[in-house]
Amino acid sequence: MNSFHCVTCSDEGVPMRVAALHDDPDLAICVDDDGARTEVMTALVENVQVGDRLLVHAGTALLRLDGEPEATVPRESSA
Amino acid sequence: MKFVDEYRNPELGQVLAERIARTVDPGRHYKVMEVCGGHTHTIYRYGVDDLLPGNVELVHGPGCPVCVIPMGRVDDGITVARRPEVIFSCFGDMMRVPGGDGTLLEAKAKGADIRMVYSPLDALRIARENPDREVVFFAVGFETTAPSTALTLMRAKAEGVTNFSCYCNHVTIVPPLRALLESPDLRLDGFVGPGHVSTVIGARPYEFISADYGKPIVVSGFEPLDVLQSIQMILQQLAEGRCEVENQYKRVVPYDGNPAALRVLAEVFELRPHFEWRGLGFISQSGLKLNDAYAEFDAELRFEVPGVRVADPKACQCGEVLKGVIKPWECKVFGTACTPENPIGTCMVSSEGACAAYYNFGRFAREREVV
Repeated sequence: MNSFHCVTCSDEGVPMRVAALHDDPDLAICVDDDGARTEVMTALVENVQVGDRLLVHAGTALLRLDGEPEATVPRESSA
Repeated sequence: MKFVDEYRNPELGQVLAERIARTVDPGRHYKVMEVCGGHTHTIYRYGVDDLLPGNVELVHGPGCPVCVIPMGRVDDGITVARRPEVIFSCFGDMMRVPGGDGTLLEAKAKGADIRMVYSPLDALRIARENPDREVVFFAVGFETTAPSTALTLMRAKAEGVTNFSCYCNHVTIVPPLRALLESPDLRLDGFVGPGHVSTVIGARPYEFISADYGKPIVVSGFEPLDVLQSIQMILQQLAEGRCEVENQYKRVVPYDGNPAALRVLAEVFELRPHFEWRGLGFISQSGLKLNDAYAEFDAELRFEVPGVRVADPKACQCGEVLKGVIKPWECKVFGTACTPENPIGTCMVSSEGACAAYYNFGRFAREREVV
C-alpha cells in the first residue's frame, strides 16, 4: 500500500493475491503488492483458489482479476 | 510491474493525446466530469489534464465518499464515540474530517476510545475481543465498500455477536448523478464513469444518463491511460453525435456488475427516504440504512444520536467544488487557511478529495479561470 493509497475510506481497489485459504470458506489470507498480509472476505467471488488475484475493497474481494490485461493500444477512431 | 506498466506507457499516452486533439472541435468548449475521486487523483498525480487541449475542461465530481459526508453526521458519530462503553472504529482519514465540534481524532485525544480499522471485519474482531464493550463501526462509502459492511453484519448476526453495531453512512452513486444533471448551474457534456463502484452495480444503471439526458458516459479504469482513453471515447461520441454508455474498463467491470454483491446489499440495507450530501443538500433515496432484519445492529437505534445539522463554514466552498462549479484553487481558503494538515473542508482531507489532489500535486498556482 503506497503513500498515495486512500486510507480514508479504503474506497479504492487493492489488487491482492490469495496466499492461503482459511478454515472459514468465506475468508482467505491475501497479500498485496507490498507484501502486507490481510484476512479478506471472499464470499462474493466463486471458487477462490491460492494464487488467484483479487480486487479487494475494504477487506472484501469484489472480483477476480484473471487473464491477461487487454491490449492497451487504443482503437483507431473512425473520425 | 505487470498489470500496471501497460497502463502508464507515455508513448501510448501521446498517441491518445494526439487523437484527442484531432477529435475536438476547436470552436467548442467541453466540460467532462470525472465522477470518482480515484480518477481525480490519477488525473493530477500523472498530469493527465496537461495532455488535453485547452478547450477540454475536467470537472471533479462528488465521488469521494469522505468529501460528501456532511458535518452533522461527523458530529453524531463523535457523540456516539464519546460514550464510555463504546469502542468506535472507522477508516483512517475519516478521523480527520472536521465536524462542527472537532474531529474524531480530537475526540480520541480527549479520551474517547476510537480505533482505526482497514475493514469492517477488523471492527467485528474488536467486538469479539471486547465482549464487555459496545463496538460501533462508522460505515462510509459507495457501493464499493457497502458489500463489505453487509457481509460483516451478516457474519455478526450468524455468530450472534450482540455488542457490535454499525453507524451507517453508505451512499449510492446514481442519485447524485441525477441531481447533478438536474442542476441548473452546471452544464456537462459527458461523464467519466466510476470504475470500482461499477464492479458492483455494473454499467447498466447509467443508461438513464444517455437515454434521459442525452449525455455520454464511459466507465473508466484508474491508470492514466485508462482515464485518457475514456476521455477520448467521450469526445469521440460527441464528435459523432452519439450518447451511449461505454465501458473502457471491461477487464474489470462486467456490464451487469456483481450479482452476489447486489444480493448481500439487498439482504442488509434499504434506501433512506433522503440523505444529506455535503454541497449537494438532501437527495432522495441516495443513502442506505440497515433494514428491519438488521435493525438490532443499527447504532442510530441502539444509541441516542442527536441528528445534528451543521451548516458548512462560510469560508469553505466544498459544495461548489463538489458540484464542479468552481475549481479548488478558486476557493477563498484553498492552500491558505485550508491545507491537508489543517483542513477546513472535507475535499482537503482525503487524498481522493479534489482540493487535496490539487494541493499535493502542485496544482495551486493557476490563474483563476472564467468558465
